[in-house]
Amino acid sequence: MLKRREAIKDVGRETSMFFVRCVIALGIVIGLMIFLLVREFKLQVVDHKKYQTQSENNRIRVQPIAPVRGLIYDQTGQLLAQNRSIFALEIVPEQVDNMQDTVSRLREMFDITDEQVDKFLEQVKFRPKFNSYAIKTNLNEEEVAVFSANQHFFPGVSVEARLERYYPPGASLVHVLGRMGAITQEDLIRMDEKDLAENKEVGTTRQRYAATGKMGKLGLERNYEDRLHGEVGSEKVETDVRGRIVRVLERQEPQAGDDLHLYLHLGLQRKITELMQEKGVRGAVVAVEPSTGGVLAMVSQPAYDPNIFTGGISNKDYQKLLTPERPLYNRAVQGTYPPASTIKPHLAFLGLKEGVITPNTRIADPGWFSLPNNDHRYRDWKAWGHGATVDVMQAIVESCDTFFYDLSVRIGINRIYEGMTQFGFGQKTGIDIVEEKVGIMPSRTWKKSARGEPWYNGDTVNIGIGQGFWTVTPLQLANATAVLANDGIRFNLQLVKEFAQGNRFEANTPVMAYHQIDTGDGSWLDLVKDSMKKVTEPPRGTARSAFDDAEYIAAGKTGTAQVKSIAQDEEYDATKIAEKFHDNALFIGYAPFEQPKIALAVMMENAGGGGSNAAPLARQIMDYYLLEALQLNQRGEQANNEESNDGAAN
Amino acid sequence: MALRTSAANTHKARRSLLWRLHIDAPLLLGLLALMAFSLLVVYSAGGESLALVERQVIRFGAGLVVMLLLAQVAPRTLKEWAPLFFAVGIGFLLAVLFFGESSKGAQRWIDVGVRFQPSEIMKLAVPIMVAAYLADKALPPSFTHLVISLALVIAPTVLIMIQPDLGTSLLIAASGFFVIFFAGLRWRYILGALGIGMILAPIMWYFTMEEYQKGRVLTFLNPESDPLGSGYHIIQSQIAIGSGGIYGKGWLNGTQSQLEFLPERHTDFIFAVLGEEFGLIGIIILLALYLFVIWRGLYISLQGQDSFSRLLGAALTLTFFVYLFVNIGMVSGLLPVVGLPLPLISYGGTSIVTLMASFGILMSIQTHRRLHSA
Repeated sequence: MLKRREAIKDVGRETSMFFVRCVIALGIVIGLMIFLLVREFKLQVVDHKKYQTQSENNRIRVQPIAPVRGLIYDQTGQLLAQNRSIFALEIVPEQVDNMQDTVSRLREMFDITDEQVDKFLEQVKFRPKFNSYAIKTNLNEEEVAVFSANQHFFPGVSVEARLERYYPPGASLVHVLGRMGAITQEDLIRMDEKDLAENKEVGTTRQRYAATGKMGKLGLERNYEDRLHGEVGSEKVETDVRGRIVRVLERQEPQAGDDLHLYLHLGLQRKITELMQEKGVRGAVVAVEPSTGGVLAMVSQPAYDPNIFTGGISNKDYQKLLTPERPLYNRAVQGTYPPASTIKPHLAFLGLKEGVITPNTRIADPGWFSLPNNDHRYRDWKAWGHGATVDVMQAIVESCDTFFYDLSVRIGINRIYEGMTQFGFGQKTGIDIVEEKVGIMPSRTWKKSARGEPWYNGDTVNIGIGQGFWTVTPLQLANATAVLANDGIRFNLQLVKEFAQGNRFEANTPVMAYHQIDTGDGSWLDLVKDSMKKVTEPPRGTARSAFDDAEYIAAGKTGTAQVKSIAQDEEYDATKIAEKFHDNALFIGYAPFEQPKIALAVMMENAGGGGSNAAPLARQIMDYYLLEALQLNQRGEQANNEESNDGAAN
Repeated sequence: MALRTSAANTHKARRSLLWRLHIDAPLLLGLLALMAFSLLVVYSAGGESLALVERQVIRFGAGLVVMLLLAQVAPRTLKEWAPLFFAVGIGFLLAVLFFGESSKGAQRWIDVGVRFQPSEIMKLAVPIMVAAYLADKALPPSFTHLVISLALVIAPTVLIMIQPDLGTSLLIAASGFFVIFFAGLRWRYILGALGIGMILAPIMWYFTMEEYQKGRVLTFLNPESDPLGSGYHIIQSQIAIGSGGIYGKGWLNGTQSQLEFLPERHTDFIFAVLGEEFGLIGIIILLALYLFVIWRGLYISLQGQDSFSRLLGAALTLTFFVYLFVNIGMVSGLLPVVGLPLPLISYGGTSIVTLMASFGILMSIQTHRRLHSA
């Protein structure tokens, strides 16, 4: 049935049906076209006035003007970060008669690559002719001069300047100042989140950055982005139909960002950098002013020149920074290392304070320590021990491990945790660099949550010599040293001393001004400090040779941190171990002994013993700062100090 | 019917060079007028760049050559080759799916010596195939034939939709459905489908889809449109059109179109430039030109010698209308943003060549009939 019906094709009926369908289709087309026309009538006739107004408003354009970024100075007024003009060769196509000729003549004078020419011509072809397009960027001053002299041969061509960040000290300050980078999508989202958090209308911060292309990505540039950036200005301009600016209707000047004045001493920073480069060591040195908590120098080596990031870093150059030495890594702030013996003074203070020892407590040191009912031997660095009557002073001066194994077990981990936290271990120093790490101040709760294991007595033994789970940043170590120098006052470390807007100065007031440790009648601390002084002196001080003939009196403590654990019967032998497992050399110290001007921590990766490697560096640093930079009346001060110290010693 | 006889009377007198070249003079005139209009607007929208105009002229030239070539192919031949043409097209679509090159998040290119989009082939292959299939059947089509022709339309549509390319798949679906419509699809099916669609769509939209899902669906269907920027685009294009008024601001004087407020102003949003600079008058002229081309297309189809020619011609003509309706509707804020150009006016796009090919087919339908009967 079906097949038969299919076979019959009624041509006449089909043709007429098709005709009807075509008429219907045409009807629908016309209907829909009328529908479109009604819409256009609504837009162009009924609502014409409204759109006319909106269109007029569109012709008046508000363009943002970028503020000038604040500058950064050291304590002596030396410029650390500035804004430098970067020059670009630009061409306005409509002002050029013969583009081919102009471009080829420019190429005779300057080094312009085919790629640059192609990119430029592409822009010229497809974009408005009245705008200016760069054919070459990053002109040096000589090229600018050459062009200026020949400018009259090149109508429509000009040199345009744009401000870019420049760091005159280069690599030596990169880990303090940080660097700038292009504003990314994530940055924009962070801006919106900040608006929300501060109850501002979302987009407020974006508006501030409307004319800004880069922002601080690391270091001070990042931490003080808000202050450095400044307030955006604006220009209300009227344009002609082509978008060419006819005149400026209103102009609101941008407000430059605040300048930063640092505690940092550029000379000291440079000196430390040079010394470390001479020795070819990786590591960090942090020097602080004990009386303020201001950071005088903060060096992390190796480093890199942040100026190579200006104008975008090439992939090749960036790969060069990804070496095993890790120059991008800020060791002073982010490096966490075992503090080793450098925390013995702090533990000694705690032992005296907690009353588990007195200045007269003596122990016998056979060269090792063991816990009751356990035959594991914790060895002293001196295999035959420090004698039968080691007191706390001797233990600090000679860095006796056995004494501190015993002491830490006596104090117990709970009190060590409490006491060392007071010195800022395991805590942020509050430095004005957000990348700061806190290291680990171990405790029972920490071990339970981090390792899922209970605390063993053996763990406490290792804490006694600053090994085991304990890690600190060089910054924390310097701060803890300053606390000793400062009679128990712990400041919030800061790089920035004050902000300046023109001639108005505003002091930088950190959230936590300072913290006072209970030092009792002061005798515990005095004993510890005297011991530290003796570390730098003959006959037995571990840093005595480094401070031989010093023109001032220094206090210090050496440290040698084991990077690789050594088996019970094994002997440490630097010649047999890979360089990356060599001991870290540490030193903490301050000077002058009375009225300290500088407290520092030296951390040298895989450099060997602290006394022979880190202490000499500390000496050179102190020499430079006290004798050259501050030019203290050494003879006078030294004489006075010696008198009082002799009195104390006798 | 009256149309037919009057046209038949006039054709003999005009069997000139154009006839021997298989060119339909009125249709060609309409197309050339649109092209001229296009060059004017592209020059203005492209910031008075002659380079853009040059490239557009080259594209139009290529389109005219393709049109001329296809006009030489008799509809009978086209019908014979239809299954192969369609099969190759489907093959390419599958190839794109598995080995295609991605560009802007969509996989729609394939490299066989030259890089091209197989979906462009399907714009012609689908209506040709469906028309070839239905042409020999008794019309209106039976249920079985209807199901088979629907399958011929839906398969390539789905393949293109998952590339994803909503605009093109929509056009291809439309071109296939138009063939079925002109074949005499029963009204009760049309109304039934419309009814079910109208009931289902809002139910799905309001009750089963979360707000974020709707957003995702929109983005998924049309990844080309910038979800953050499309609202802004529509507002700016409406300002441009509205501020044009009745007479327009004059050629090269459109402020919105010149000030970079308007996005894609020489491609998908070129209608806004036209509306601003030439006003309502310009829009009426444009729509009149389009209407003339559509009328001529339907007129040629009506005179088609066989079912195949008639169905194909009418479907191609209406597809052309879908192009312009979707684009103008989008730019005027009536329809959501779908990446379709304004046919023969927008700058660039492989679509110019495909469009001209379909006009070539129309010319072939017109002129081969004459030669046959003669």
